[in-house]
Amino acid sequence: MEKTIIINIGNTIIHIEESAYELLKAYLFEVKQHFANHADDLEIVTDIENRIAELLSEQLEEQKKQVVDASNVNSVIGLMGRVQDFDSAEEPEEAEPIANSTYQQAYAGKKLYRDMDDRVIAGVCAGIAHYVNTEAKWIRLALLLISFIGGAGILVYAILWVIMPKAKSRIEKMEMKGEPANLQGFQKNLDEELQAVKERLSEVNKHAQPLFARFGIFIGEFFEWLGRFIGGTGKVIFKVIAGVIIVFGVLFLLSLIVGFAAFQGFWDESIYEYFPFSIVNDSARGVILLGAFIVLFIPILALVLFSIRVAFNKQAINKTLSFALLIIWLVGVATTGYQAAKISTEFKQHAELTQTADLKAYKTYVIDIDRSKYFSKEDSITYHIDASERRQIVTEDFENGPFVAHNNIRINIEKSENGNSRLVQKYESQGKTFSQALQNARSIDYKYFTRDSSIVFSPRFQLRKGTIWRNQEVWLNLEVPVGTRLILKEDAYRYINNYGTWDCRDLENDKNDYSVWVMTEDGLKCVAQLKEEAIKNKRLRQELRNLEILRKTNSTDSIYQDSVSNRIKEVKTELGITEE
Amino acid sequence: MIAENTQTQMRKGILEYCVLSIISRGEIYASDIIAELRSAKLLVVEGTLYPLLTRLKNNGLLSYNWVESTSGPPRKYYTLTEVGRGILSQLDQTWQELAYAVGVSQKGANS
Repeated sequence: MEKTIIINIGNTIIHIEESAYELLKAYLFEVKQHFANHADDLEIVTDIENRIAELLSEQLEEQKKQVVDASNVNSVIGLMGRVQDFDSAEEPEEAEPIANSTYQQAYAGKKLYRDMDDRVIAGVCAGIAHYVNTEAKWIRLALLLISFIGGAGILVYAILWVIMPKAKSRIEKMEMKGEPANLQGFQKNLDEELQAVKERLSEVNKHAQPLFARFGIFIGEFFEWLGRFIGGTGKVIFKVIAGVIIVFGVLFLLSLIVGFAAFQGFWDESIYEYFPFSIVNDSARGVILLGAFIVLFIPILALVLFSIRVAFNKQAINKTLSFALLIIWLVGVATTGYQAAKISTEFKQHAELTQTADLKAYKTYVIDIDRSKYFSKEDSITYHIDASERRQIVTEDFENGPFVAHNNIRINIEKSENGNSRLVQKYESQGKTFSQALQNARSIDYKYFTRDSSIVFSPRFQLRKGTIWRNQEVWLNLEVPVGTRLILKEDAYRYINNYGTWDCRDLENDKNDYSVWVMTEDGLKCVAQLKEEAIKNKRLRQELRNLEILRKTNSTDSIYQDSVSNRIKEVKTELGITEE
Repeated sequence: MIAENTQTQMRKGILEYCVLSIISRGEIYASDIIAELRSAKLLVVEGTLYPLLTRLKNNGLLSYNWVESTSGPPRKYYTLTEVGRGILSQLDQTWQELAYAVGVSQKGANS
């Protein structure tokens, strides 16, 4: 019994016995080698293949056989003639420059191919190494060094990848290494050779657009390489990342659980007087807390589980459970979203409440901040504040606590229209309806006091117990007549809303913890700055006078006169004098 | 060896002339050319013919048509071009001269 092979030769399908196939293959290879240096090798080989196919088909028909055997092939070879016989009849012409007496000589020189057997990425470096007769590692090192110059090496590599063909067949590999091609070498790997012939025949179209085809090969190989990279090196990187995520994710989950428990413990405690927890209505607190917990907890849990899967290649959780988690999460999102929407409606309306108090007339007011704190009964107990201990003073630094208090006051200083000093307190709030907003504004508790000409503001306002945060604000409008002096204490700077108070520095007394201001027709002015300006103006006027004299004395020199009048112009603009 | 070389040279020139002559009689398939050459006892093997035909075609002496075949793939049928005809008539004349030269050389001008 003999194995039968189906081959496609000259576009004809032929069944052939294995031994006969080997014979035919060897013969075709010989023929191909013989014409390899011929200008029209492709056409001649195609003609011969077609003829062989035809002869084989004819023989099968004549002998009423299905399968070609060795005798058929031998008779075909007899008809076509051995390669040695070709030479005698058709010696290459001198007129054909491409021709060579023997093909061995043609392969004596090396050719530049990519070496796919010794490659790191696409075999470019190995190919160059063969060509210049060195070891691939030196080329790789050189290219790596070039890559540090703005990535030039990478570009060079990509271009070479496109330009250099890869060494596919044995001949090409031999050409690449510069080995002399001999028949023994070829015989070893006839399979590959025939494949190369076939490919060459089928790639006729590609010859029309060689660069385009090359580029296509490049793209294909690049993605193949990328795939290998991600599959190999990339996997390790992903695992490391997954490991880091697992560690931090688990820590985060634990802290979430602790936090959740802590908040439950804080129930009805003072934490809810602080922003942002003060936003939430009493009744909704439990629901929102649980909702927020679920919304945060489940995605992180999912991330950790996914990372476990990446890092250890196994499913940490089954599908039903993960589906259940998803449902719980969605419920959590919906609940939290609903509550948030509900709360946001309570900010719909705005209301404000105004209280006006006339101040005793003084030439100078001192504005200060009360740094003492109001203590509730609970505070007194927790901080051990004993009313009988008179010498105790508790002061507050402004940036304390986990949440900077949201309920700071803001002060506007304005010019009084009627010549009287007064303080307007404006309480503002949001609410679901106007009356609720007004109610929320009413719940503001704010205190200031006056001592002679000092006005001492408390830095914060309080909300009466049980009131929730609805963007309550306190505005204090201090109105003083023109000419009134104000001494602003440093503590008060941060609360002044309509003037930049930090810039007012008395250069002579830099260490003062206050600044002096005066109300003018154009609003509040820093006295130190006014003084400075006055001095400057005086200096400028003096200069102007001197310049005027200079203009009159030396009127013949035009260049000199020009520069004098230029300076006069500059000085005048600085003084605010417009030239007519 | 010298004899062999001379034979080869002689055959080579004549083969080309004969092929052109055969094709000049009308459109013909490569294997039929072989058959003709064989009956003329000139030719050796088919493999020799294809490079020759290709070269003649590239030099503009021949052209071919693809003709459908009842068995197997389409076949190339060769014909002579105008250039080919011109060259063939030159070769004809050369052949006459050579035949004369050979005849005279062998038998003497007077016989």
